[in-house]
Amino acid sequence: MIRPAPESRWTPVINAVLLPAVLVIAWQIWAVTLPADTRAPAPVGVVAAFFHLAGSGGLFSATLQSLGRVLLGFAFAVVFGVGLGLLMGSSRSVKDNLDPIIESFRPIAPMAVLPIAILLLGTGTPAALSIVAYAAFFPLLINTVHGVSRVDRKLVQAAMTMGVPRPRILATVILPAALPSIMLGARVAMGVAWTAIIAAELAVGAKSGGGTSGGIGQMMFVFYAYSIDLNGIVVCMIVIGVVALLIDRFFRATERWLMPWRY
Amino acid sequence: MSSAAERQHAGPPQPSSLQTPVLQRELDATHTWQGPGGAKPSQITRWMSKRGVIAIRSFVIFIALWWLLALWVNRPVQLPSPLRVAIALGGLIAAGEVSENALISVSRLGISLVIAAVLAIPLGFLMGLRREAEAIIDPVVELLRPISGIAWIPLALFIFGVGDILPLFILVYVAFFQILLNTIAGVRNVDQRLIAAARTMGVGRWAVLRYVIIPAALPTVMVGIRLAFAAAWAAIIAAELIGAPSGLGFAIEWYRELLMSPKVFAFLVVIGIVGYFADLALRALQRWLTPWAQGTELA
Amino acid sequence: MATTNRAPKLKLSNVSKEFTAPGTGQRTVAVADVSLEIQSGEFICVVGPSGCGKSTVLNMVAGLAEPSSGTIEKDGVPITGPGADRGVMFQDYALFPWLNVRDNIGFGLRHGTPGKELSRSTREERVGHYIELVGLAGSENKYPHQLSGGMRQRVALARLLANGPDILLLDEPLGALDAQTRLILQVELLRIWGETAPAEQRKTAIFITHDIEETVFLADRVVVMSTHPGRVKAVLPVDLPRPREETIRAEPRFGHLAEEIWGLIRDEAYRAIA
Repeated sequence: MIRPAPESRWTPVINAVLLPAVLVIAWQIWAVTLPADTRAPAPVGVVAAFFHLAGSGGLFSATLQSLGRVLLGFAFAVVFGVGLGLLMGSSRSVKDNLDPIIESFRPIAPMAVLPIAILLLGTGTPAALSIVAYAAFFPLLINTVHGVSRVDRKLVQAAMTMGVPRPRILATVILPAALPSIMLGARVAMGVAWTAIIAAELAVGAKSGGGTSGGIGQMMFVFYAYSIDLNGIVVCMIVIGVVALLIDRFFRATERWLMPWRY
Repeated sequence: MSSAAERQHAGPPQPSSLQTPVLQRELDATHTWQGPGGAKPSQITRWMSKRGVIAIRSFVIFIALWWLLALWVNRPVQLPSPLRVAIALGGLIAAGEVSENALISVSRLGISLVIAAVLAIPLGFLMGLRREAEAIIDPVVELLRPISGIAWIPLALFIFGVGDILPLFILVYVAFFQILLNTIAGVRNVDQRLIAAARTMGVGRWAVLRYVIIPAALPTVMVGIRLAFAAAWAAIIAAELIGAPSGLGFAIEWYRELLMSPKVFAFLVVIGIVGYFADLALRALQRWLTPWAQGTELA
Repeated sequence: MATTNRAPKLKLSNVSKEFTAPGTGQRTVAVADVSLEIQSGEFICVVGPSGCGKSTVLNMVAGLAEPSSGTIEKDGVPITGPGADRGVMFQDYALFPWLNVRDNIGFGLRHGTPGKELSRSTREERVGHYIELVGLAGSENKYPHQLSGGMRQRVALARLLANGPDILLLDEPLGALDAQTRLILQVELLRIWGETAPAEQRKTAIFITHDIEETVFLADRVVVMSTHPGRVKAVLPVDLPRPREETIRAEPRFGHLAEEIWGLIRDEAYRAIA
């Protein structure tokens, strides 16, 4: 986005900080006017809670636990989503036969599958993993199919006339040609997976009375249901946002690194 | 002799290897194979290759596999058979539970989409048209956007309690950003030449907005609404599951706690069907509102 | 060997190609009854109005399409599929966007020779040689989207030659270029094909175009095709001496040949735009 030349080099900085700062200050002032025994969160309290939680290491390990689940579930989704996507993208008949099933599962939100995952797998990590994998599967699959089905025919023909054997064309032509689409799918899938793990941990916490799930979602739920520490909840929300942002940035950087020909 | 002689023409489809179909299709596109002996496909094979027939066949196979798996596992609480689920679904429909909960979820979805649109579209136009507004508001948007709607649930539970407001709040939050960002993009991407053309015809500021910018930006706004629906649909189940006394998400979790598995699966089917038709309805709305923008599809 | 000069390098016998429209099942004849013998080292140009099936003929020789009837033989052996012995240069070049110039040129050497891979150093040497030959030194690490049309065309040519095919199939390779670049590359193409070398060392080339002057400048023989269905209308030998210089375009014989070919196509070309 091209912005008009600023009057001074500080103008964009001031613009960027202005409204967030006003809102945070207003929030703090509002909190101060409340009675002393209030549980309402306030910026100062949030900062204090952050240092407390970060200092004890609990925040870090909970975040790590959630991230670990997301990565593992995501890895499953990559194997199945990209694998099936390559198959469906390459073969009309496979696509025609699987499309009806895929399309009927697609509108089923990941969280709707959670009760069944709990029935089948209990309230521990396997249930959380399956939700993440389910959530990440669809963006990966759909973008892979899209990418493969739009590979330029001429490129495949070119490889054939150079004597490249058929199995090898998949790896040397179709996969790189579909990579931009697949990577877009991966980025979307990872964002969805991160949301799904929070939801799964929250729900497991909410519905199994503490449960054994752990993770940052569970941590939030404990703050809500037991210690009633709203500052802690806001800290968790901020961490969730920052992780989401970092995941997005990481994938964009990876795309640039993997596909230098597009930049 | 060169290896050309060893290389075979791809014959009729050989499902033996994963890769063959790609190249098979590739060759098909280059020249149409007549099939062995150039025989015409029989009526039956042609009928079998119709899309609808394929879909039904796939479903039959899927349900059969499910049934076999259920028989093999033989733990009805964990994996009920399709028949039990169908019976449960029939019972729920007859009792009015399906329509009641589906209606609640869909109206929550509808109301929150309308609220989000009413808030986000004007703000999007403001931010898209005025750089100063964008410069000031955008940082807040960018700070809040990565925090998913789901992450607001505990705080919202505290503020609103379990009830109707909580799912509405989460859904409006989720839908808001999708509509806002697409509105800004839509306004930004209006072809400047259209505006210039209108201006040279002596059209006033408001008329340009009304007759040029709004129609030109509307297709992108509609895409935003469909994305908002998809995001809200994923969030509503979570919101109802944790923080509402009604709705599809509540119902599915309710029966899970009672270990009434056939009903859990029945509601899963309902969720799929409702989600599918809601998207269909939005597509129809999109076509009706912006008939000139066919092909503005979601990636 | 002396005998191979007598037997045709490539022999098309009564080749036809029908397409069946999917859905309606309606058949259209794209190529009808084409017979042609091409000697080793010949430069053949195929010219004709659009829709005359010249690209289809090329695809069939490449093995990317199968004739509906008739046979195509190379060195007396029927063609059954694509192979590295017949290199194709596509109209839009079909360069791999994710590979730089060097890797595009080396693609066939690396992946197209299963079982008898060349060593890395041999590959690099060969790629380097062709980069020099087409004048791309200094651009080895660029991606296709960073290159001009003329440079992409050179990459495609180098990639074609690096695989060492004995038949070059060129599908309007100069079609997307501006007029000046085109003239320059015509001369260069003849040099690279081996115009100055003895005839037996030259590669066999089939060049498709709709530019009449281009055919006269390049070809040993010009195959003129007509539409509906695509047939061979005439085969004209171009009796201009090699190596051909730019000045040859000004000679009366050049003009006569171009006039003759235009005479064969004119009616159909007018009908096509009417």
